[in-house]
Amino acid sequence: MSTRVDRRAAFWATPAVGVLGGVALGVGALIGGHPMLGLVAFSIMALLSAGVVLLARRSETIQGLLDRRDERISSIDLRATAASGLLTTVAIVVAAIVELARGRDGAPFTWLGAIAGIGYLAALLVLRVRG
Amino acid sequence: MKFEVTGSRVRELRLARELSQGDVAAAMGVSRQTINSIETGKYVPSLPLAIGLARFFGLPVEEIFHVDKS
Repeated sequence: MSTRVDRRAAFWATPAVGVLGGVALGVGALIGGHPMLGLVAFSIMALLSAGVVLLARRSETIQGLLDRRDERISSIDLRATAASGLLTTVAIVVAAIVELARGRDGAPFTWLGAIAGIGYLAALLVLRVRG
Repeated sequence: MKFEVTGSRVRELRLARELSQGDVAAAMGVSRQTINSIETGKYVPSLPLAIGLARFFGLPVEEIFHVDKS
């Protein structure tokens, strides 16, 4: 029973985060005086979330990404997340270098790079302690 | 010393029981793609899944998965 509830909760977690992200983007844009941009951002996130839920009925991979039942798909997701994080970090470092070369202080890329590095070290430490 | 899974008898055992990949996947709680990947040697299952498959086929793990030392 609890496993079934856990799986259902896991299944809805990703689309729920997508919709909440859309709401946050929408509110941010609204506060910044761009209500239409906020509406578009929210709509995109809501449509993506709905699309993922609908596609999960047809695709084992998307179903596995959502309900986390399948160890192979979870492993692929983990590696894809790591690759995406690495790519983002490389882009941030390149952007910081370009900014520094232009005679600026490199902000905000230097800070973002620092967050990526510190985040990695913190995760490494926590995961090592947890075994 | 490192141990490496170099192959498995999952396909052979499944076909001998006239089961589909979907049948085995449903029994193991994984996707059909995962069973296919195990059968084709693209994916090495975790220890719990390997034990689950061994119990499903009623054989010891080492009689299903070929392990070599490297």
